[in-house]
Amino acid sequence: MDRRTREYLQGRFGDYYRSATLSLPPAADAREWGHIPFTDGGTTMVRHQSLLELGELDAFLAGESPRHVYFSAARYEDPATRGMDEKGWQSADLVFDLDADHLPSIDPERTSYEEMLRACKGALLNLVNILHRDFDFETQVVFSGSRGYHVHVRDPSVRDIDAAARREVVDYVRGADLDTEGLVTTTVDHGTTRRVLRTDGGWGRRVHERLIALAADLREMEEKAALARLREYDRIGTGRAETLLTAFRETPEAVERGNLEAGGPGVRILVEQLAERVVAENGSAVDEPVTTDVNRLIRLPGSLHGGTGLAVRRLDSEDVAAFDPLIDAVPERFTGQQVRIEVTEPSEAPVSFNGGSFRPTDGEHVVPEPVGVFLMARERARKVRET
Amino acid sequence: MAEVDPRHARYPFLSGAREAVAVLSVAPTELARADAPAVERGAERVERALMAGRVDAESPDSWRPRDELLSYPVARVLVSLLDNDAAIRKYAVAEATTARERLAADAGAGGAGLRSVDDRTLSLADALQEFDVADAVRARDDGRFDVDVDVYLRLADPSAGDDWRLVNRALVDGQVPVERDELYDLLEERVRARVADGLPIPVGGEAGETLADALSPEVARLSTLLTDRAPKIKTGPVDRPAFPPCVEALQERARAGEDLPARSRFALVAFLVDLGMDEAEIASETGLDEAAVEFPVTVLADGSGSQYPMPSCETMDAQGDCVNTDEVCERVAHPLAYYREATD
Repeated sequence: MDRRTREYLQGRFGDYYRSATLSLPPAADAREWGHIPFTDGGTTMVRHQSLLELGELDAFLAGESPRHVYFSAARYEDPATRGMDEKGWQSADLVFDLDADHLPSIDPERTSYEEMLRACKGALLNLVNILHRDFDFETQVVFSGSRGYHVHVRDPSVRDIDAAARREVVDYVRGADLDTEGLVTTTVDHGTTRRVLRTDGGWGRRVHERLIALAADLREMEEKAALARLREYDRIGTGRAETLLTAFRETPEAVERGNLEAGGPGVRILVEQLAERVVAENGSAVDEPVTTDVNRLIRLPGSLHGGTGLAVRRLDSEDVAAFDPLIDAVPERFTGQQVRIEVTEPSEAPVSFNGGSFRPTDGEHVVPEPVGVFLMARERARKVRET
Repeated sequence: MAEVDPRHARYPFLSGAREAVAVLSVAPTELARADAPAVERGAERVERALMAGRVDAESPDSWRPRDELLSYPVARVLVSLLDNDAAIRKYAVAEATTARERLAADAGAGGAGLRSVDDRTLSLADALQEFDVADAVRARDDGRFDVDVDVYLRLADPSAGDDWRLVNRALVDGQVPVERDELYDLLEERVRARVADGLPIPVGGEAGETLADALSPEVARLSTLLTDRAPKIKTGPVDRPAFPPCVEALQERARAGEDLPARSRFALVAFLVDLGMDEAEIASETGLDEAAVEFPVTVLADGSGSQYPMPSCETMDAQGDCVNTDEVCERVAHPLAYYREATD
């Protein structure tokens, strides 16, 4: 990044911080703070600082206008000590990290920023659903300022669980290693085998709900179409499809109870495939190493992301679904002005903010400021003198 | 002499038992010098732990509750003096195994709920209280229990089998339903951790030396046990027809794809480790996943050879794995001894 661009961005970040009021996370004094200044490379982190050293946060941000600002998920006895072992780890919020780069459906080379954000939103809604419904956790959703979301859980009961236990939570929300065969248990009762689907909670309940929905759909359909629909599943031929359909039609209350005996051996095959779909569609591909790290640093809500110029935003639960980062995370301070830039790294994909769209081609352009800040922060453009 | 609560004799790791020991105010040194029954019973505790994977007395009627209670701190000192990490691990596991059996018997006698009827036994409610999880566990109508997810995560060992993985649990509203037996398993782990906590006891200083000297006959005897205990097996080509019937049976079940209980799988893997097999060989021998044998093999082969061996015949019998016995079984007390005899 050249000097003019850097000074411009740092100046505008400073303007933002002077007009913004950021709220501190709980127990801010017990956390480690870190920031990356707008110096030449812009990649060296100043960390192992306590709030005591930073002083008053708003004043620090306005004075320093750093490129990135972080605080630790963990609380420490002595957050400013350099060695991690000497800090005296006390607890760490459980912070789930969702990044479009890590979603299985995303090829970061080929996917536009908007598409990435959309895919990430789906994973976020699944995550919040699981954390509320299964874990009964209270959550704080934060837009990361770039390609993803952070979900903070500060429930005291889980703050001190170790990395291994966090991995169990992560695997749960991902649906990783779900024993799909184990969802249907076969019990022998007075010489008769009974196949029972776990319905009372966890992934079993989600699969059961899917099965009930499928059975209801099939009951509404013509016999021929219903059979064809069932045969779309692997290893389900005409015979198994007929047995399944008869069971769904004649004993719907048994399906409701998870009693799948009448469905025959095809039930297990069907349930396994439904389970795979349910995991793919309702699981959430959170980034495991980041989420299980009990010493990690996370972006400060309210700060600006130095790689996009977007604000890191806390979201209320009811606003999550409607949140559009390309509108709602654009700092108000940057709207309403134009800026002259020279695109150094053009692209086919347009950059869209606040509903406007710009395709970055080579050469000088006058663009809305959020677009200019975004391209400069990504080092795909540089600032040129206004004429 | 103060009356000893039989419950403390039965569960000597309880915090109340620790206080009871303090009230008796007998220094281990004095006990050791006096050649007290508690020392003999303490040595038996450790011996049984190493040989049979349990700590109950072979003739329970020979000991007063007082001896039983005091034998626990004595056993802790003895196992510390052995200066062997594997022995300490084995001892803690054995204490927990026995505690679990007793708890299952006591709490099971009290009916389906959490309370027990007999004040000499430990109720499930008492056990939960003891480990500070009483508020986190609730009895359900269907005989199972709901455990708060944070407590479940702290207690359950996901490497103990897929069933323990949170992803395979019917988690709902922050609660994990568990079977009664599984709740005992969770408490067993809590007991093991408590017993292991503080071991080895640093036995130093003048008082420590006096104590070590006084206990030296027991320590010497237990040490020989430690080296001779697992019948040594000549390493060499594995002689499959010489496998004891219990191992054969476990192997057949594993190969047939049955999900063996953790203890049985452990026994099978331990036997093969003792024969000098590595993970890959064990996996191909048993048909178990290489991943499934990795953890036990790491623990079993932790450089100290067979310090953590295949369970004895008695333990195999207790866990229901002693099957198809033949005349060699009648003569031996350990499946490895069977193999040694059959290969001689």
